[in-house]
Amino acid sequence: MAEVHIIGQIVGASGFPRNSLFCKWGIHTGGAWKLLSGLREGQTQVDHPQLDDVAYWSHPIDVHFATKGLQGWPKLHVQVWHQDSFGRSELYGYGFCHLPSSPGWHMLTCTTWQPLGSWQERLSQLFVGGGPQLLQSDLIYTGADRYRLQTIAAGTVHLELAVLLRHFARYGVEC
Amino acid sequence: MVTGRAMAELGWSAEAGGAVYRSRDPVRNLRVRVRIQRVTHASLLLPQLQQPPGQPGPELIGLATLRPPPAASGYRPDDEEEEAVIGWQEKFFSQFEVDLYQHDSACQTPLDRQYHQEILKLEKSGGRKNHRIFTYTDHDRFTNLEEHCQKVTTSVQEVPSYLAERMANLRRRRQDRRPMEGNVPKSRVITWEPSEEFIKNSHVINTPVQTMYIMGDLGPYGKLGHREYEHVLCTIKVDSNGVITVKPDFTGTKGAYRIEVDGEKRELWKYTLENASAQVQPEEEGQEQRMFRDLYSRHKEYLNGLVGSDFEMTLPGALRLFVNGEIVSAQGYEYNHLYVHFFLELPSCWSSPAFQQLSGVTQTCATKSLGEDNVAFFSYPFTLEMFFTQEDESEGSLPQWPVIYFEVLSLDYWQRYRVEGYGSIVLPATPGVHTLTAPTWRPIELGTVSELRRFFIGGSPELEDMTYVRVPGTFKGERLSRFGFRTETTGSVTFRLHCLQQSKAFLDSSAMRKRMQSVLDRLSGFSQQSSLLNVLGEAFSLVSPTRRANCSVCSLHKERRRSRPSPEDSSAFLHLLFLPLCLTLPSDRVSLEMAETLRGRLEFLSG
Repeated sequence: MAEVHIIGQIVGASGFPRNSLFCKWGIHTGGAWKLLSGLREGQTQVDHPQLDDVAYWSHPIDVHFATKGLQGWPKLHVQVWHQDSFGRSELYGYGFCHLPSSPGWHMLTCTTWQPLGSWQERLSQLFVGGGPQLLQSDLIYTGADRYRLQTIAAGTVHLELAVLLRHFARYGVEC
Repeated sequence: MVTGRAMAELGWSAEAGGAVYRSRDPVRNLRVRVRIQRVTHASLLLPQLQQPPGQPGPELIGLATLRPPPAASGYRPDDEEEEAVIGWQEKFFSQFEVDLYQHDSACQTPLDRQYHQEILKLEKSGGRKNHRIFTYTDHDRFTNLEEHCQKVTTSVQEVPSYLAERMANLRRRRQDRRPMEGNVPKSRVITWEPSEEFIKNSHVINTPVQTMYIMGDLGPYGKLGHREYEHVLCTIKVDSNGVITVKPDFTGTKGAYRIEVDGEKRELWKYTLENASAQVQPEEEGQEQRMFRDLYSRHKEYLNGLVGSDFEMTLPGALRLFVNGEIVSAQGYEYNHLYVHFFLELPSCWSSPAFQQLSGVTQTCATKSLGEDNVAFFSYPFTLEMFFTQEDESEGSLPQWPVIYFEVLSLDYWQRYRVEGYGSIVLPATPGVHTLTAPTWRPIELGTVSELRRFFIGGSPELEDMTYVRVPGTFKGERLSRFGFRTETTGSVTFRLHCLQQSKAFLDSSAMRKRMQSVLDRLSGFSQQSSLLNVLGEAFSLVSPTRRANCSVCSLHKERRRSRPSPEDSSAFLHLLFLPLCLTLPSDRVSLEMAETLRGRLEFLSG
């Protein structure tokens, strides 16, 4: 059994068309992994940036996993949502990143995409917001059925993660 | 005005900061032994401190003649020394307090009355034991005043800052007055109308501390009980987390502290502080350790029950390469709506599990402009797992590393495909995070017809075999020529790869990790050595066919030395020849060239 600690934060997001964003996040692992402590998913507050377009959440991530194998290394998936002045929420981007497998401090950028609708949908999206969303959110962190999707590039989510590994060297794993 | 100053011995400057100790044990067990001693009149020892210098007294002459201090002037043997063992928050009354609280009329607070009772009791039981050493506990007025009026600079006009006042108002020593607003219910994350108390508690640091002062009454003999002669010998602070701050620190090997009293007599005092707490009995300590060990082992068992203690391992001699990859983005392409098609090529000696998918297609992503480029964000995950098994150990060639070939295509509104670029990346040979940006090119034909076709109806020259991006798989010759093949530079694709390597060989070689640089060294170090042994084995079989070199070189030599060969035996020459080599070569880095030279020498000898 080897253990992985991930301690860090979702710093914020940039490059989205409007600000006042929030983010739902989750960590997906394979079957050999067990969450020992910490929260596997969460949601940040809505941040209204004052000056530039970077929304800062500084949302903490602190999880501790134990594993029997390398397969199914944890993946962090994020959904960036926009909350407008009427309180409506609309999806702005899906993204994912592998949690780093080497110990140390990592600053990661996680690029996101948004499903692309037909031109009528895009027109209505321009005026009243909204837009298509994924039916199953597992498409965010799996690649198998991606070819069915039509997407458009969205913004980036910034992460700072510190990784601590334990007992991997005991099993001959170089990280 | 009387001023005092704690002075340290020469070469010791830590006295100002105090020391911080941590203890899990209850603080009521803390005992401090204080020993105070008058050295002599300070003016005898330190005449240079006597200001102004224009008044040479009789003491100065005394110093000049190195006369011992006069025993007559105020010398009292019983007054010279005092020792006390003080417990945590144990009250020792000073002469001043005894005088004050003796009379019931001076008592105002319940604490005063309690002191009054205690002093009366003390008087009945035969007077107090301490004379010069006394304490101020957390409840005493002094502790309040000291914290509030403590000066930090020499400025005469220093007034406590706003923050200091707030901190003092907070009365942060009281442990029982912790703010209850700390654990707010989850439904109310924000207090829209914070109360005055809430602001006080949350705007300044709020670690509750209990304080205790060990004081010394350093007045001249017979003049005890004057507040201006009181000096702080030691300040002890304890917070609720078991952090004990002692300022100044216990005097261990560092020697005693000195206080010089700037009174009319300028007396010098020396005092020591010792930690006199009762030590834990060895059996108790052992029991505690056993308990902790038991706790930890139970926690470990619990974890093992949750997850299991095993871990999937590789076969001996195999390297497992595990890649958590991501196609991050593609940038700088001509058309919109891009997608990436990629596959992994495994060279010889590499294999992958049957379920492993070795190719993938991303979604179609419309680009957005970022800086000068149009970027498409894929955020496409893939996981690759493969095994490297070196079958033929004697083969000295470098193993090839797996390669990802990819092509970028665009798909427009009319469902027309266009090839946007070809590229490849070699998987990194070192573990860790790697962000690789691979530039791409696409084949073009001479003339405008092909470009017109590409623009209007889509389609353009494509590679029949994508491995042509590197050395094609079907290529057999000596030189690869691409003369006549025209390409155009297009954009680039960014990959992020988290690589992990696993092998049983890493377990053995972890000690020599520093010397070995690359994974190849570590994997094939033993195989090269074995190839050298093969060579040597052949060589020795030439000389004495009965003996096979099937063990390491040095043990072979030992064996030969034991058999005491005659000088005529050529193996003895060999022995002499090899010994220095074996000594100088690091056993795991015997290279092939060295083996070749050895073989050359052997041939020379046997020839």
